[in-house]
Amino acid sequence: MTVLGVPILEGLYPSTMDLYPLQAKEFNRIHPFYENLRQNRFTTTKCKKCGNVPFPPRVVCPQCNSDDLEWVDLPTQGKVLRFTEEVAGVPLGFETPLIHALVDLGEGRKFISRVVNCKEGQLKEGATVKLAVFDIPAMIVEKKGVMDEVPRVFFAFEPVK
Amino acid sequence: MAERKVCIIGGGMSRWGVREASIIDMAQEAAKDCFDDVPALKKQDVDGFLFASSYCGRRSFQVNAAPVIAERIGIKPTSMCTRVDTLCAGGSSGIILATGLIKAGLADIMVVAGGEKLYTPQRWETYYSELASIDHDWEGAQGIGLPPPFFSMTAQEHMKRYGTTKEQLSAVTVKNRRNGSNNPKGHFQKAVTLEEVMASRPIAPPLGLFDCTPVTDGCAAVILTYEDKAKELSDRPLVYVRGTAQVALHSMSMNWPGEHLADWLHLRTAAKKAYERARVGPNDIDVAQTHDCFTISEIIEMEDLGFCKKGEGGPFVESGQSDFGGKIPVNTDGGLLACGHPFGGTGIRQAREITYQLQGRAIRQVEGAKIGLTHNLSGLNVEHTILIYGREP
Repeated sequence: MTVLGVPILEGLYPSTMDLYPLQAKEFNRIHPFYENLRQNRFTTTKCKKCGNVPFPPRVVCPQCNSDDLEWVDLPTQGKVLRFTEEVAGVPLGFETPLIHALVDLGEGRKFISRVVNCKEGQLKEGATVKLAVFDIPAMIVEKKGVMDEVPRVFFAFEPVK
Repeated sequence: MAERKVCIIGGGMSRWGVREASIIDMAQEAAKDCFDDVPALKKQDVDGFLFASSYCGRRSFQVNAAPVIAERIGIKPTSMCTRVDTLCAGGSSGIILATGLIKAGLADIMVVAGGEKLYTPQRWETYYSELASIDHDWEGAQGIGLPPPFFSMTAQEHMKRYGTTKEQLSAVTVKNRRNGSNNPKGHFQKAVTLEEVMASRPIAPPLGLFDCTPVTDGCAAVILTYEDKAKELSDRPLVYVRGTAQVALHSMSMNWPGEHLADWLHLRTAAKKAYERARVGPNDIDVAQTHDCFTISEIIEMEDLGFCKKGEGGPFVESGQSDFGGKIPVNTDGGLLACGHPFGGTGIRQAREITYQLQGRAIRQVEGAKIGLTHNLSGLNVEHTILIYGREP
C-alpha cells in the first residue's frame, strides 16, 4: 500500500497516526487493562496501600505515590445521564451519527463514552448501557527486524436490549 | 530591587482564516504587525521569546519551533526562548510566564507570539489530528477529539436545568459576528442574523455550525516589558498585568469537578484567584474577552466569571448585557466565533484587544475602559486561564 506524497512509508506503520492506544506490552505498562477487556472485564488499578481506585488505571497511585497496585473490576453497566448525537464533522475512522453519553457507573463514577450498536434517535436519558468490546486493527512492533502484529481490542458502551 | 511591574506595550496579528501560508509565514506576519505597533523598540533589545503553539509538531512537522521562528523574525533572545503548549490557552500561558520572568528580572523585553497552521493539504488530517487534543488513549480513541459532542451535552444540561433557549445560544453568535464585522484580521467579517444562526446546519444538536468556532489558521504577538522600560518605549497609556490564574482540575474521562456539566467549578476557582490577585471583582471589569469556542461556553462563562447569577447567562446575553452599552461588553473584536481559533494564538489576540481597549484605540472602543479581563478554556474543558489587565498596576 503506497502512501501518497510519502512513498518512503510504503508498507510501514506510522504509529503517530494511530487513533488507538499502543497497547503492546513493549509500549504500555497498563496493557493488562486491554487483556482484561478481552474477558469482557472493565478494570482499573487499586492502590493496595491507601485503597484509592482512580480511572484511568495508573502505574503509581496519584494519592499516596505507592506503586503497589492491583487490578480490580469496575461495573460493566451504567446509566445514561446525558447523550449527544454528532451528525457532521466526525473524525476519520468514525461514522455519523457518532453517539457519546455521560455514563453513571455508580459509586460517584461518571465518564464520557462512545455508544455503539445504537441508531440515531434510539438512545434515551436514563437508559442502561453495557460494556461493548470490539476488535480494532493490530499494531505493529518491530522485534529484531521482524514485524510482529499485536492484536488489539477497544471498548465503548451499547444499549441493553 | 522592588518587584517589577509588568506591562503589555503593543500587539499585532496576522490575518486569520483559511490561510495560504505556513505557520512560519504567519508568525512573521504577526511579529511584523507587532513590531510596527511599537516603533521605538529595537529588535536587538528583545531578550526573551515564547511561542505558543500546540500543533506545530503534528501539522507542520516542526517541534522546538521557538528558535526557528526567532531566527525568521530577526530576534536573538539571550534570556529565554521556548515553546509553550496549553492548547487553547497557550497564548495566555505564555503571557503569564513572560510576566513572571520579567517580574523576577530573568528577562527584560519579551515577545510572546503564538498560533497554529491547522489546515493540512487534505482535510481528513485537519480533523483527525484533533484526536491528539485530549487524552489520546482514553478520549481520542472514543472519537471525542473534536469538542462539539461534549459541548452539546453541556448545552443540553444548561437548557434543561435553567431553561436556556436556542435563541439565547444564537444571540451569542449574532453579537460576536457583529463585533467582528469590521475587524480586518478576523476569519469571518460578515454579521449574521438570528434566523441564519438558528437555521445553520446541525453539528451536534442543539449546536449548529454557527454555534461553533471555525477551524482557523493564524498567529498573533504581543510585547511585554517592565514599567520603566514601557514608559521609555511607548507614549501610550500603560497597560499592566494585574492578576492571573490557571486552574487544571480534572481529566475529562472521570473526575468532572462540578455538580453537573454546566457547573464549571474550575472556572470559578480561577476567577476567584485572578480577582484576588488583581484586587478587583467582577463588577470592576469594563471589558472582557472570554472563550466563546461554542455559544454555550460564553453563556456559562458570564455566570461563573461572576458577571451574572448562575443560570441567568442566557437572558444576560439575550438582553444585551454583554454587548456595547450593556453591563460588560464581551468579545469586542468578535471573539473566537468571528476571529476563529488558532489555539496558541487566541490568548494573544485577546490580550492585544484588551491592550487596545485600555489604550483607547480599539476598532470598537468601550469608552473609558480601565480594567479588562481575558479568559480561556482549554482542552475539553480541563483548564481555565484568566488574566486581568489594568491602566493602574
